[in-house]
Amino acid sequence: MLRYALRRLWQSFVTVFIVITLVFLLMRLLPVEGYFAESYDKLTPEQKEAILKSIGVLDPWYVQLRRFYSDLLHGDLGTSIVYRPKVPVREILAPKIPYSVAFGLSAIAISLVLGLGMGVWQARDKGRFWDKVWTGYIVFINAVPSAVYLLFIQLYVTQITKLPILFDRDRPISWILPIISMSLGGIAGYAMWMRRFMVDELNKDYIRLARAKGMSSTAIMIKHVLRNAFVPMAQYLPTSVLLTISGSIYIESLYSIPGMGGLLVDAIQRQDNPLVQTLVLIYSTLGILGLFLGDILMAIFDPRIKLERRGGSR
Amino acid sequence: MDAPILSARDVVVKFSLRGQILTAIRGASLDLYEGETLAIVGESGSGKSVFTKTFIGMLDANGWVDSGSIMFEGKDLAKFKTEREWLTIRGKKIAMVFQDPMTALNPLRTVGMQIQEVLELHQGLKGEQAKKRAIEILDEVGISDPAMRYSQYPHEFSGGMRQRVVIAIAIACNPRILICDEPTTALDVTIQAQILELIRRLQKRLGLTIVYITHDLGVVANVADRVAVMYAGDIIEYGTVEEIFYDPRHPYTWALLSSLPQLGRKGSPLYSIKGTPPNLFTEIKGDAYAPRNPYALKIDFVKRPPFFKVTPTHYAKTWLLDPRAPKVEPPEIIQAMRAKYRVSERDA
Repeated sequence: MLRYALRRLWQSFVTVFIVITLVFLLMRLLPVEGYFAESYDKLTPEQKEAILKSIGVLDPWYVQLRRFYSDLLHGDLGTSIVYRPKVPVREILAPKIPYSVAFGLSAIAISLVLGLGMGVWQARDKGRFWDKVWTGYIVFINAVPSAVYLLFIQLYVTQITKLPILFDRDRPISWILPIISMSLGGIAGYAMWMRRFMVDELNKDYIRLARAKGMSSTAIMIKHVLRNAFVPMAQYLPTSVLLTISGSIYIESLYSIPGMGGLLVDAIQRQDNPLVQTLVLIYSTLGILGLFLGDILMAIFDPRIKLERRGGSR
Repeated sequence: MDAPILSARDVVVKFSLRGQILTAIRGASLDLYEGETLAIVGESGSGKSVFTKTFIGMLDANGWVDSGSIMFEGKDLAKFKTEREWLTIRGKKIAMVFQDPMTALNPLRTVGMQIQEVLELHQGLKGEQAKKRAIEILDEVGISDPAMRYSQYPHEFSGGMRQRVVIAIAIACNPRILICDEPTTALDVTIQAQILELIRRLQKRLGLTIVYITHDLGVVANVADRVAVMYAGDIIEYGTVEEIFYDPRHPYTWALLSSLPQLGRKGSPLYSIKGTPPNLFTEIKGDAYAPRNPYALKIDFVKRPPFFKVTPTHYAKTWLLDPRAPKVEPPEIIQAMRAKYRVSERDA
């Protein structure tokens, strides 16, 4: 088990490394005009040259890459170029992360409880009234672009319930709508997968044997179906949890929450390389960490995953 | 013969399928006697499995027993509605072994736990006691090193071993009746023989009554005391294994036996029954087998035959046995078998 975990960890590390290297190199392919934003026309060629030199983009790419790695190893994430010039990336991110994490965690907690519960309910009542109602909900959430119903919630639900339309740090009541908005998708996702995996299990032969043993449906649900359905879920959960706490682009901008969500889009558009690199590092690390944790959880739950031997059939 | 341990009378099972009603079992009757081994044979779709599933209330959700009775220990199982009622029978009094041992066990729980589950459920054993008993049962079904095997998972067992485990689960509560639904179909021939031998041994020790569902007539000849032949949801002939194999009376049984490959007969093509089984969505008039039956009489298309008595243990549902029916000679193969039987009977 430990060897398996270490091997997977090493693979994850290599993956993160490849991702950030690729992104770093791709960023260097972009034209340099973006670095000057609006002031581009007003600067003389010499001034431009000087600015580019001070940022360090005139060095050969391998020198830049080496500097990037060495800074990273020392915990230096660089300074912002365009977004907030000369401010260290760390200082830009530090106040934003707690908001994203707090909103993300609340949304995850709600999605997990309601989503998994709903999935179990649906699997139990498969084909009956409530299954159809919740399936309708899932289809709606997945089919309608989230921008549409989220905007709808912000416009109309705030009117009906008199909840604040924008986020305000000092008014706990203003947390409610963004968290609900964030949870809607999660609930639908978890319910859909949970239902699907449980129905998969329910159709398997061993359920028939369990029934023939004389176990009650409730006992079969709890002792056999739920646990077995959780194995494929376990692989998918960590990634979705980690990506949720890293912030939602749309909802954060909709309620003007000062979180991390919108930052990546902003940073890419304005070509703020150090900021983009740091955000990519964070997101890819979270994503890959999620996959890693998923695999580990799966290995813990499923005895069929052989951990000692390499190779063979999958 | 004593009173039957289980007695099914005129059982009708229907399924609702895409808005249509399908009659899968059309008034089948069957008696089961204590300690015997009964084999139910018939082609795929003849209702063998569905019929026996009604004994433990395990029809699929879209199926139901429409009429008839299944008497067991003074209770009519056909009247059972709730799960609570079935839990007093299922696994406890009547147990079932299924066809494919590769998928019959929960892959994520140890083999030991899966046996223990039954013990805890029906015998009130707990913890260490249950574990000890589970290991004993593993030993009984011929699994070596049971204490070590107890904590292993199904994927660490071979097909034959898994079927032993499934049998262990089935017998863990000393049921009175064990229904084996094609228990050896998924196994190779040597393992098949071992499993049949194991079931026979357990039957002797535990006094089990066994119902085999199979279309392997070789297995039937090997293990059964009595045979019931099913066609299109009805039992059309039953008798002792000798009576069915050497002196069958129903044209369908003739055809079934004729289609067996005969040892030592080379060159001639294998017999096959013409046509297809009837559509169960529509009501069947007369004898269900009549359209495929080269010996069919006019009445076969009009009126359903009742059981005619051949011997006190042998009955068949065919108008050919009516005293008014014309004398019909069965196919050659059947005649040859009958002759063989008469000779061996005289010698005995």
